[in-house]
Formats: sequence, C-alpha cells, structure tokens
Amino acid sequence: MTLTVALSAAALVAVGGFLSLTIGNGLFQTRVEQVLQESKQASAEVQKTFTATGNTDVLALQTLVNEVIPNLEQNTANGSRKVALLRSPNQATNQFLQSPISGDLTVSDIPATLRNQVAKTENKLVYRTIYLEADGVMNQSIVVGSKVVIPVAGDYELYLVYDISDAQETLDFMQSTLAIGGLVMILLLGIVAYFVTRRIVAPVERAAIVAEQLALGSLDKRLPERGQDVVAALARSFNKMAQSLETQIGELSKLSKMQQRFVSDVSHELRTPLTTIKLATEMLEARVEELDPKARRALDTLVSQVARFESLLADLLEISRYDAGAVVAEIEPNNLGDVVSMAVSGLEPLAETLGCELILKLPTRPVDADFDPRRIERVLRNLISNAIEHGAGKPVEIQVGRSKTAVAVTIKDLGVGMSRSQMDRVFDRFWRGDPSRMRTTGGTGLGLAISLEDTHLHQGWLQVTSKPNQGTTFRLTLPRRIGGIFTESPLPLGETLSQRSRI
Amino acid sequence: MQKVLVVEDELPLNQQLTDLLENAGYQAMGVTDGGTAFLAFQDFEPDLVLLDVMLPNKTGIEVCREIRAVSGVPIIMLTAKAEDEDVVDGLEAGADDYILKPMPSFKVLQARIEARLRPLRQPEFTEIILGPLVIDVLGHEVRRDGVRVALTPLEFNLLQTLAEAPKQVFKREDLLKKVWGYHYDADTRLVNVHVQRLRSKIEDDPDNPKIVVTERGVGYKAGQF
Ligand SMILES: Nc1ncnc2c1ncn2[C@@H]1O[C@H](COP(=O)(O)OP(=O)(O)OP(=O)(O)O)[C@@H](O)[C@H]1O
Ligand SMILES: [Mg+2]
Repeated sequence: MTLTVALSAAALVAVGGFLSLTIGNGLFQTRVEQVLQESKQASAEVQKTFTATGNTDVLALQTLVNEVIPNLEQNTANGSRKVALLRSPNQATNQFLQSPISGDLTVSDIPATLRNQVAKTENKLVYRTIYLEADGVMNQSIVVGSKVVIPVAGDYELYLVYDISDAQETLDFMQSTLAIGGLVMILLLGIVAYFVTRRIVAPVERAAIVAEQLALGSLDKRLPERGQDVVAALARSFNKMAQSLETQIGELSKLSKMQQRFVSDVSHELRTPLTTIKLATEMLEARVEELDPKARRALDTLVSQVARFESLLADLLEISRYDAGAVVAEIEPNNLGDVVSMAVSGLEPLAETLGCELILKLPTRPVDADFDPRRIERVLRNLISNAIEHGAGKPVEIQVGRSKTAVAVTIKDLGVGMSRSQMDRVFDRFWRGDPSRMRTTGGTGLGLAISLEDTHLHQGWLQVTSKPNQGTTFRLTLPRRIGGIFTESPLPLGETLSQRSRI
Repeated sequence: MQKVLVVEDELPLNQQLTDLLENAGYQAMGVTDGGTAFLAFQDFEPDLVLLDVMLPNKTGIEVCREIRAVSGVPIIMLTAKAEDEDVVDGLEAGADDYILKPMPSFKVLQARIEARLRPLRQPEFTEIILGPLVIDVLGHEVRRDGVRVALTPLEFNLLQTLAEAPKQVFKREDLLKKVWGYHYDADTRLVNVHVQRLRSKIEDDPDNPKIVVTERGVGYKAGQF
C-alpha cells in the first residue's frame, strides 16, 4: 500500500513539474511578445518624431528628447516600464545630447553585449532578460533595445526596460496551487489505496494465513464468506477445497486407524488362545517322561514354535502401540555400560550355541546418559542377536563410547553382511534378508523396525554400514541429556566399509 | 486345601487353569460367566480369585467390586491389555494384583498366587499406634477412634509395613517386594492405586493425607505424630 502511494506521489510530482514548466514558459513567452509589441510601437513613434522634426538646433532637439523620452516611462498595474536613451559610442559627430534615463535605472544595468548588438542592427528590436534589484528583491525584467537616429546628433540607442515579475508571481501562485492540489491528491490516493487494500489484499492475506494453518494440520479452519464479489468467490472456492481436504484426510486417517485397531484387536484376541496353548504345553512338559521319543520331539517343536508365536505377537503389539502413538518412554538417568553388559550377558547362551565370541569394550568411566533402560536394552538385544545370527560364527565386537553431548554403542560382526539394496531395507517392517534361512530365534523382521522407533523416541540415531561377506556394523547414538543436540557420534562407523545411514 | 476360584470365559483356558491349579495342589473351581461369578464366590468361599477382565454379562471389574463389598479375599486380575485403563480400573475396584496374558509360564502365575496366600510375616509388634489408628497386628484389625476399619489383607499388610518403620521412606519397588512379593520389574501403579484405596479408608481427608504420606520422587512413609 505504501508503495502504491509512493508511486502515485512520484507520478504527481512529475506531472506537476512538467505542467508548471510549460505554463511558466508560456506565460513568459506571451509576456515577451507583448513587451516586444509595445516596444516596437514606442521605438517607431520615437523615430518618427525625430525624423519628422525639421529642427537642427541642438537645444531644440534636446527639448524634444526631454519631452518625448520621459513620456515613454510607464507605471501601470501590469508592470512598470523604464526608459533610457543612450548615445551609441564611436561617432563622427561631436554634437552631444544629454541622455535621459529613468531614475531607478543606471547605464550599467544594460548589458554591454546587448549594447553591442543594438549598435550593429538597424530597424530591429533586440532584447535580454535581466534582473533588477528593487527593495531587496530581484525582479525579472526584459530590456528591449533599438537604434534611433537623431538628426545632427547621430545614432542613439533606445532601451525600454519592462518589469515582468508579475508573470513570475502568477507562476508562483500557480505552482503553489499545484503543490497543494498535489498534496491533497496524494492524501486522497492514500485513503483510496487503504480501502482498496482492505477490500482486496486483506482477504488474500487472511487466505494465506488460513492456508498456513491448514497446512499445519488445523483442518477445520475456514475463511469468512461475505458478499458476492471476487473476494467472496475466492473464499467460497477456498473453503470448498479445505472441506474436501478435511473429508479426505479424515477418511484416510479413519481407514488407517481402523487398520491399526484391527492389528491391535487381532493381537489382543490372539493372546487368550495363546495363553491356553502355552499352559497346555506346560502341562505336557511336566509329563515329558511319559512320552516316547517322537512325541517328545513333537513337544519340543510345540514349545519352540509357541515361543516364536509369542515373540511375534509381542512385536506386533509393540508396533501397533507405536502406530497408535501410545508409547511413552520412561526416561531416567542411567549407565549405558550397565545396560550393554546386561544385554550381552543375556545373549551369551545364544552366542555359545552358535560358537561365537562376544567381545565387550567398555570405557573405564561410567557412561551416564538419560534413556529408557527397558527400550534401550531391547534395541541392544536385537542388534547383538542379529550380529550373532548373521556373524558366521566369527567374533562380535561391542564397543561403548561417550562424548560431551552423546553416547554410542557399535555392534560389529564379520559375517555374511548385506548388499546396498539389502541395507536400504533393513529397517523395513517384516523384511528379512533371507526368509528361508535357518532360524534359531523368533525372526519376524520386526526387530529393527522397533529398534528404530525406540531410537527415535530418544531422538537418537540408528545407523548401519555393511559389505557382503565382510560384515556389518550397527551404531546406536543417543543424546546424553534428553532433547540435547549432538552433531557427531562418539564412535566411528567403520571407515573401510561403505556407509549408509538412517537418521 | 486352599481354594481358588477361576473366573474366565474362554472354556479351554479355564479348564487348563483349573487343571494346572489342581496339579499344583489347590482345590479349583471354574466359572465362565460374569453374571454368576458372585454367586459362585459365595457358594465356594475361595481363598483366592483369579478374575478375567472381559466377561460376558458382567465385566470382571463389576464382579471385583461385588466381591470387595463383602470380602477382602485376594483377587488377581487376568488381562490381555496392559496399557489401557483395564489395569487401573481393576486395581481401583479392589484387585490386589494383575497378571498379563500370556503369562511367561504357569509357574509365574503360581508364584503370584502363593505370594497372596502366604501367611503374613511374623509380626514385630502386637499393637501399633499410628496417630488416630490402633493397629492390632495379631488380630488383623485396625481401629480408628475405637471403630473397626475394614481393610483387605493386602491393605493391612501395606499399612503394617509402613507403620513398623515409622521413620523409613519406602520406595515403590521396596513395597512391591515386601508387600506383593515381586522381585523384579513390576508395575508401580500397583502401589499407587493401593495407597489411594488405603487412604480413602483411614484418612480424614484422603486428598490431604496425614497417616500415609507421599515423599515426592521417592515413595511413601508413615506420618509423624
Ligand atoms: N548384523 C547383520 N548382518 C547381516 N544381516 C542383518 C544383520 N542384522 C540384520 N540383518 C538383516 O536384517 C533383517 C531384519 O532384521 P530384524 O532384526 O528387523 O529382524 P529379524 O532379526 O529377522 O527378526 P526379529 O528381530 O524380529 O526377531 C534380518 O532378517 C537380516 O536379513
Ligand atoms: Mg532381529
């Protein structure tokens, strides 16, 4: 709006300037023409008077000059006229007539260049603009010169000086009128611009704000629909769009909620029969001596498959809890070293069965940080058991590190590793590198998906780097204090291996 | 022989539970309907009730309230949902403890049952006076200004534990160990809910407790008089 007013003001100033310039020029020009006209008459008359006189007597001529010339002086309403009759220099005759000159005019007021010009021309008017001082102000005047030939006395120059400051006054008056008019125009323009802005720009601004709110998720925000003009039409279309957006998003989230509910309900429904199966299995286990070898093997299968089923169900429930946004971390100060040791010792039996050595490297100082110990231990258990399972029986190295802002654990195996495309999918739900591979534990492909959710809950990083047949390193980095910012992990993620990370 | 009433609507699970309980040396009776559970309770007079939350005709919560209205018998809830209000509702209705389906094994359930049926610890005192309360440890009775206050055995145990060490602040985990018999990760909501229930019975103003006071960030202790 200020821009609109500023531009209009600039245009006004330009137009006003141009106007006052042309009008000024016009005024001056007419005045000059008028002056020249008058001068022409006057000088012609003077010349006629001198030509007509038969007198050759200097005294009589002087009387005539004294009679004619002062008469040319005028003092009218539209300006004064002063007069001077000067003898042209360098003449042969030595008859001098006294040169009459108006009282408030001096010879030096007449520019020398003008006098030269007058001396050289015949029957022609020559003029100049000069400034004469009167009462401390400089008044613009025009001095018009012409040659007058006086018998016996020779060449004389007649100068008529017109005060044209009245033209300047008119111009000044006009300019001030223009300026005041311009100011009023600008003021009016400002007011008009203000109302136009309110009418057009303000609704657009409001639409922008509402659009922003919609984008931020307040789907019920709408624009007021008043009137019948373009603005109202805009508001109506905008609201229609917002409405359809709200309905569609509502539908989608309803669908996804239904799906999440379904997963959650099914998982819960499965728990009761699973409990029954477990208890029945336990009953059989108590009587294992009464069974023949084949039945015993069947019972073993039953027990291990029930355990697998249970862990799948637990994972499903955990994922559905994350989907429902019902997960709350119980974050408290802890020693990461202790939690890592606990996870490692819990997995020693599995490592032993697979002939794999677990090497734990802890810093001497305690690695204190804020986290949910239950969740972080679960993440570590999954990472370590993955490393044991895919580690091809080679040692698995678990290292703990700390910096001022972060704590980290790396789990490094020298096993089968992964290709780049496999690495891209490790964190996906239900994804397993080789589904047909012999499994010793659960193996649902949900482990890393849950680990990643747990890590994000702590605002941490879970990253992986791997090379087929060389091994895999996972690195978990957590902020020391919850909400704390860190830019670097305290531990490297294996320089020789290619890196791919999920943050 | 101690008697356990199993209220569970899934017949196979109900049968499995009663079988296992009988194997473990209890006298067990199964009920599958919420509507008849209370009648069965009055008839059978069990020493402990295993109570499912989702039941036809009457929810486990309602059954729990009915039983609590007449008896302090230990009640353990069976629930498939740990996260929602079920657990807290059940505890507030008067259940002493809860166990999630599927439990890690029957042995775990058995341990919980035994913890509830175990005779109370050998008392260190025969009578404790705590402000307006007179705790008759031998008679398992609490009087307030001469009037008997009806506490469940668990609530009595909780009060006695706090009153026997009047200066000590008990962490929730300590109380879970001493009163409930848990030795590792248990739900601290158990303690919170039962302290609330106890307060509502013994305090003048349960919102401004004087007898069982909260030590912020730590746990609970007996009030100083
Ligand atoms: N250290 C590793 N080396 C090679 N491959 C790995 C490693 N860790 C994970 N993977 C691959 O990522 C897949 C997904 O792992 P994730 O932990 O999510 O599931 P899982 O171990 O198969 O099952 P769950 O953990 O749910 O019991 C694994 O099946 C495996 O193919
Ligand atoms: Mg895994």
